[in-house]
Amino acid sequence: MSVEEVTQKAQDLSIEQPSTVLSNEKEFQLKHPLNSKWTLWYTKPPVDKSESWSDLLRPVTSFETVEEFWAIHNAIPKPRYLPFKSDYHLFRNDIRPEWEDPTNAQGGKWTHQFWGKTPDIDDLWMRALLAVIGETIDEDDSEINGVVINIRKSAYKIAIWTKSADNKEALTNIGSKFKTVLKLGEDSQLEFLPHSTASEKHPQPSLVL
Amino acid sequence: MARYTEDELLQLKPEGDVPVNFDIESFKAVIDKVKEIQGLQEEEFQQFHRRRSSHHHGKPKIKHTKPKITTDSEGWSTFDNLARRKSVNTSGTLNGSDEDLAVKEPVVIAQETLKVKPNKNISSTKPADSRDIVADKATNNFNAFAALESDDDEE
Repeated sequence: MSVEEVTQKAQDLSIEQPSTVLSNEKEFQLKHPLNSKWTLWYTKPPVDKSESWSDLLRPVTSFETVEEFWAIHNAIPKPRYLPFKSDYHLFRNDIRPEWEDPTNAQGGKWTHQFWGKTPDIDDLWMRALLAVIGETIDEDDSEINGVVINIRKSAYKIAIWTKSADNKEALTNIGSKFKTVLKLGEDSQLEFLPHSTASEKHPQPSLVL
Repeated sequence: MARYTEDELLQLKPEGDVPVNFDIESFKAVIDKVKEIQGLQEEEFQQFHRRRSSHHHGKPKIKHTKPKITTDSEGWSTFDNLARRKSVNTSGTLNGSDEDLAVKEPVVIAQETLKVKPNKNISSTKPADSRDIVADKATNNFNAFAALESDDDEE
């Protein structure tokens, strides 16, 4: 086969080019996948005594990419706008934001209460969300199950829920980073409460940072 | 494992609104409705169920009027407990002629306990009250001597 024939055959080969941003700039939509699927839950405040917990806690939507996260985050009301006794929960996959869920049962939560008016609560909540979905707060394994904000009349509470409650080293690392995310100073305390003590009247934290 | 720092995620934040995969308007409507109900409940609580704060106010202040003491020329002091009362007629205007009378001390009527036996035999002609017996006697008894003395004779 001559050189000309080889060149001709090579040109005749139809190699399918992968779609890139250069091939069609308008239609190309690049999405950044997250490590997990995340589900946003909302606890509606009770307005009637007949409403039970299961009636109030409902999943809102799920997302798997950074772009979907931003679309949802920009659309939903921010914590400062929510009525009292509302909660937002963002949990991995299909974990229910309840102690009874098997993935939560052996775990606990790092929690901090912001008393009074907290003007930057929306920003702090967003920082907590980004740290959780970006997986930067949990270096070793998928120890984080979810993150919660409670809107109450006298305070806001942000908590990060973990899978275990006895891995002190891993929990301390998570707690230290979480404290930075929430912009807490040395005078502010972050407490870890195992879910096993949640039903107690005055549960004592097993770890304090 | 896909990891994104906070800065990386913020760089991917879109400028404008992007459509979401659920009914956001219904979700917002639920939140607005709850806020409205909570507002009404709070208003009702403030109006009807608010308790007085004992911590800040303590006992309510009650103003006692001090008795007026008058001292006469001989040095005797007496409580002036005669309240000056103004009589008011039915139309609500002051009755000028009664102003002096209103100064009078109110008449105290001694309260006597009257024991009245119920008339067991309701069909009886006997009066239930013993005072009525006396009254009846005075009016009903016939005095023959009095009847003989007619008014015409006196004249």
